[in-house]
Amino acid sequence: MVAKKKNAKSNLPSQKVLQELHMKMVRIRRFEERAGKMMEDGKIPGALHLYVGQEAVASGVMQHLSNKDWITSTHRGHGHLVAKGGEFKPMFAELFGRSTGYCRGKGGSMHISNMDLGMLGANGIVGGGPPIAMGAAFSNRFKKNKNVAVAFFGDGASNEGSVHEAINMASLYKLPCVFVCENNGYGEYTAQSRHQAIVDVADRASGYGMPGVVCDGMDVMAVYEAAGEAIERARKGSGPTLLECKTYRYYDHVGVRGMGLTYRTDEEVEEWKNKDAIEGFEKRLIQLGVMTKKKIENVHASVGKDIDEAIIFANESPYPMPEDLLDNVYNEET
Amino acid sequence: MGSRTIGIIANPASGKDVRRLVARASVFDNREKSAIIRRALEGALNTGARNFAYLDDSHNIAGGAFGEIDGDFESTLVPCLKTSSALDTTRGALSMRDQNPIANLILGGDGTSRAFVKGWREAALLPLSTGTNNVFPILAEATIAGAALGVLACGGVSEKEVLHRAKIIDIQIEGEAEDIALIDAVVTKDQFIGSRALLNADVIERIFLTRAEPTSVGMTSVGGLVQPLSQDEDFGMYLILDNNGKIKVRAPIAPGLYENLRIKSIERVGFNESIEMIGPCILALDGEREREVQAGQAVKMSIGREGPSVLDVRKTMELAANRGFFT
Repeated sequence: MVAKKKNAKSNLPSQKVLQELHMKMVRIRRFEERAGKMMEDGKIPGALHLYVGQEAVASGVMQHLSNKDWITSTHRGHGHLVAKGGEFKPMFAELFGRSTGYCRGKGGSMHISNMDLGMLGANGIVGGGPPIAMGAAFSNRFKKNKNVAVAFFGDGASNEGSVHEAINMASLYKLPCVFVCENNGYGEYTAQSRHQAIVDVADRASGYGMPGVVCDGMDVMAVYEAAGEAIERARKGSGPTLLECKTYRYYDHVGVRGMGLTYRTDEEVEEWKNKDAIEGFEKRLIQLGVMTKKKIENVHASVGKDIDEAIIFANESPYPMPEDLLDNVYNEET
Repeated sequence: MGSRTIGIIANPASGKDVRRLVARASVFDNREKSAIIRRALEGALNTGARNFAYLDDSHNIAGGAFGEIDGDFESTLVPCLKTSSALDTTRGALSMRDQNPIANLILGGDGTSRAFVKGWREAALLPLSTGTNNVFPILAEATIAGAALGVLACGGVSEKEVLHRAKIIDIQIEGEAEDIALIDAVVTKDQFIGSRALLNADVIERIFLTRAEPTSVGMTSVGGLVQPLSQDEDFGMYLILDNNGKIKVRAPIAPGLYENLRIKSIERVGFNESIEMIGPCILALDGEREREVQAGQAVKMSIGREGPSVLDVRKTMELAANRGFFT
């Protein structure tokens, strides 16, 4: 007797999907570059942890999610929100601390969130996201829907007790959750080899009783395929997955500076840049006839124009008023 | 009696790709790979081997194993790239060749052996399975694999007696670097290398096999379940798949993953023959999408017995036992 089909398999992606993946990555890159520049120029208050270099991870994962699927992010959270559908105007306004921002200017970079998009928030606490995602996944189970929750975290966070607890519980209850470890090789300024005895965080998956997969986080199609399988597995009730994406941030832990740092070499940065997710993908899209060079240039120009408009919008937006201080702090719905 | 050097290579990346999700493949964590090397070392040391060279893999799998073994032996760390890609194994093979090992213990799947042979084609290998598609590597307890290597290194058997040349597919891609496959070269309609694993039967167009094994998983099973072809036979097999093909087969294209395939034709390919085709396509080699072939780009594939030499563990141990090597 033949077993009934079927495993969820990634068929050839449509041109629309490929173009959306490209658009997501370009939007993240351009947003982060501009935000970083404005921070350096003193036009954005506070610190920004920028996602440049890691675009393929957020884009490849988010392509499989709808607004009803939840995500939790990290202190490096802008890319996740952009890929989840975040708009530039309320994002820049939030970074500028204006009342038109996603959190009415009270959250800023490290707490930016939007419930309508299923983005439960960036998080200033390293390892703070996975327990929230696990809880969101539990709510999906409780409500008997088919939505999933995805927790993004880094190699540094993978050592935090909160992350172990969240993954353990998600596995115990077979929750519709995917744990995406963006292993960029550094926990802030500490190389992974100085904070972990293992190299592949996914090796821990068997200890939690779930599948662990390693994929190339600089290749958006590798992420797209692997994340698609993990998300489909969660959606159909087969439980969580630990998906480790090997990636790299081009900039420093905070801010823009990427070269001349003491904890990593310029040569290392250049090696990773040679694997740039956007450049490689654009080259392949042209080879396949999915996009022309001109069309790609138009995408970059269009995104740049959107950013210009968003910055004007943010600059012209008012700050929150002192009397609004305690508004929207707690959920006021009954 | 002095012993020749034994080379040791572990692939950190084997056993961790998306086949853990799509198929029912096993996870091989690196601690387990290190334990396998420790057992192999015990086997080799207990048969008298005293000289080892190991590749400095990015995850310190082999180095970690040597660090946990006490004994009277010499080990040489062979430097290699740490790009976390197959290039590390390929370049490492070149460095390993300089150590002149009599044979090399390779931990990984088909792809790991392929990467090593790309760097050192005439190498003698004992490939142990820690990967997913495991046609080329053998399934054996590492202790005994190490013992067989030790017997060979100490002269208990001769190379001529226990090493057998494997078949190999040579691939020429117009205007680009050549490539090889030890088990299968597959032409697919895929557009991207992506997660590398070959998981979608719908995109498979042609399969070129050195072996068609009905007892293995992967592309080799597609031919193997229809018309088996052993490692010993001096020809290859070329299958063309088509939705209207008259031969229907349901084959395990990955561990625990069966797919329906329809074969239009099966051809025998002699050692003096070649197969030619024109892109676009993605070439999957030994189970993984590896090469992008552009539209109009020519590809030529041929098969021969100029592959690496592979150690026959059973024959080695039986010959040594019959000669009183262990007593």
